Amino acid sequence: MATTRPEGDRATGELTSTKERVLEAPGVDGPIERERRAPRWLHPRVWLAPVVAFGLLVLGWQLYAVHNPYVIPTVPEVLSQIGDKPGFYAHNLLVTLQEAVVGAGCGMLAAFILAVVMCHVHVLERALMPLAVILNVTPIIAIAPGLVVAFGFGFTPKYIVTGVIVFFPFLINSLIGLRALEPQALDVLATLHASRWEVLWRLRLPASLPFLFAAARICLPLSVIGAVVAEFSAAGQAAGLGALIETAANQADLKTVYASVLSLAVLGIALTVVVVLLQRRMLSWHSSARSR
Amino acid sequence: MLEGIWKAFGIGRGRAAALEDVDIAVPRGQFVTLIGPSGCGKSTLLRIVAGLLEADRGTVSVFGETVSKATAAKHIGFVPQSPALLPWRSVLDNVRLPLQVNRKADGGAARNRRDPKEVLESFGLGKMLDRRPAQLSGGMQQRVAIARAFVFDPTILLMDEPFSALDELTREVQRHELLKVWQSNQKTVLFVTHSVAEAVALSDVIVVMSSQPGRIRAVIPVGLPRPRNQFVETTDEFHELESQVRFELWGAWHGDDET
Repeated sequence: MATTRPEGDRATGELTSTKERVLEAPGVDGPIERERRAPRWLHPRVWLAPVVAFGLLVLGWQLYAVHNPYVIPTVPEVLSQIGDKPGFYAHNLLVTLQEAVVGAGCGMLAAFILAVVMCHVHVLERALMPLAVILNVTPIIAIAPGLVVAFGFGFTPKYIVTGVIVFFPFLINSLIGLRALEPQALDVLATLHASRWEVLWRLRLPASLPFLFAAARICLPLSVIGAVVAEFSAAGQAAGLGALIETAANQADLKTVYASVLSLAVLGIALTVVVVLLQRRMLSWHSSARSR
Repeated sequence: MLEGIWKAFGIGRGRAAALEDVDIAVPRGQFVTLIGPSGCGKSTLLRIVAGLLEADRGTVSVFGETVSKATAAKHIGFVPQSPALLPWRSVLDNVRLPLQVNRKADGGAARNRRDPKEVLESFGLGKMLDRRPAQLSGGMQQRVAIARAFVFDPTILLMDEPFSALDELTREVQRHELLKVWQSNQKTVLFVTHSVAEAVALSDVIVVMSSQPGRIRAVIPVGLPRPRNQFVETTDEFHELESQVRFELWGAWHGDDET
C-alpha cells in the first residue's frame, strides 16, 4: 500500500495537469479568439475570391449593357441615377423597409406566440397547423390584390402581406426550437417541480433562440419580397421601391427600375447583416455564432 | 422505502413486465447502488423514485413523503445519465438553476441551502465558474451536474449511471471525486451503475438485479471501512466483494440452473 501511494498520486496529478493545459489553450477563451479573428478578415485568402466574383459579375453586366442599351442600363448609369437623387431613393427605400420590418415583426411575434401555445396545447397544434399550411401554400401574389381592395392603398395591406409571408416559416422554426431540448434537462427540471412557465422561460426559450435567428435570416429578406409584391398590386400609390419599379417599367424607364432593384438588394443585405450581428451577440454559446 | 413495485411497458400482447415486486430500503445517510444487466429495469426504478414515471402497483415513499410531495418540496436531487447542462449558462449559473426554480419550496425551515460557489469549489471546479459547459471536459461536466444536485440540499440523491459516458480513466477519477465529496456530506444516495468496481468502491449496500422481469436477486452489504480512498481498490476485501457481485451478476445473466 505504502509503495503504491506515491505512484497513484503522481498518476492523478498528471491527469489533472494535462486537462488543465488543454483547457487553458488559446482558442478556448473568447477574447483570444476574437483577437485572432479580426485580422483574418483582412487576409486576401478571405476576401479575394468573393471580390473577384463580384467584379466579374459587374464587368459582365457592363459589357452586355454597352451593346444592348435598350435591354439593360450600364452600371455607371444606374449608379449616377441613385447619385443624382439620393433623397428620393432613400425615401422610397424607407417606405419599403417600414412595410417589411413592421409586417414581418408582427408576423414573427404572432407566429412565436402561437408556437408557444401549440407547444403546450397539442390539440391546438392539430387544429391550426392545417390552416397554417393552407396559408403557406397559397401564393401571396394571389392574395395581394384582394387585400388592396379590402384595405385600400395605405400601409395595412402591405403589413398583412409581409406578415403572412413570414408567418409560416417562423411558426415551424419556433415549434422545432421550443422542442429542441435535451430530454434529460427536462427531467432535471421535472424533479425540481419547475412550473411550465419556468420550463418555458429557463429552458425552452433560450434553447429555441438559434432556431429563431435562423428563421429571422430567412424571414426578413422574404418580407422585402412581400412588401414589393404588395406595392406592385397597389401601384399608383407612388411610394416604396416596388411601386417605383412598377411605374418606371410602364414608362420604360430602365435606369429607375435598376436603381430601385439595386436599392432593394442593399436593403436585403442590410437586414441580413443586422440579424447576423444580433445572432453573434446573443448566441455566443452556440456553434452557429462561432463558425461564421 | 420502495415496496412491491410493479411496472410494465407496452399494451396488449406486447406488454412486457419491467419490474416485478421490487422492495428496496434506502437507510438515511447511506449510499445504495443498484446494479444489474442492461434491461433489468434499474433506470426505470430510479425514474419511478424521481417521479418521472409512475409504478403500476406498489408504493414509493421518500422518508415518509409521497414522491409528488417530495419533488414539490425539492427533496429529490436527480443526476441524469448525460450532464444535461444548459449550454447558454456558465458553470456557476448552471449550478444556480435549482435555486431559481420552484422557489416556494425553499421556504421550509430545516433547509441547508448551499452557496453554489462553495459547492463548485468543493468539487474542484472553483476555477471554472465562468466557463461555458462546452469548454469543460466530459468528466468536469458530469461533476457540474452532480454539484447542481448537491446545491439545494435534497434529502435523497438519485444518480442514473452518471459516469457511463466517460472513458475508463476519467471514470475512475470521477469515482474518487464523488467518493470524497460524498464522504464529507453523507447524503442519502440511490445510485445506478453497471460497473462492479464503481458499486463496491462507493456503496454501503449493493442491490443486484436480474432482468426480464426485473427482480432483486441479492442484497450485498459492503463492509469496507470509511473513509475510503482510491487505494481501497487494492485491498483483498474489495476484490472479494467484487467477485461476490460478479458471481451474482452471472447468475442474473444466465439463470441459476446454468451457473
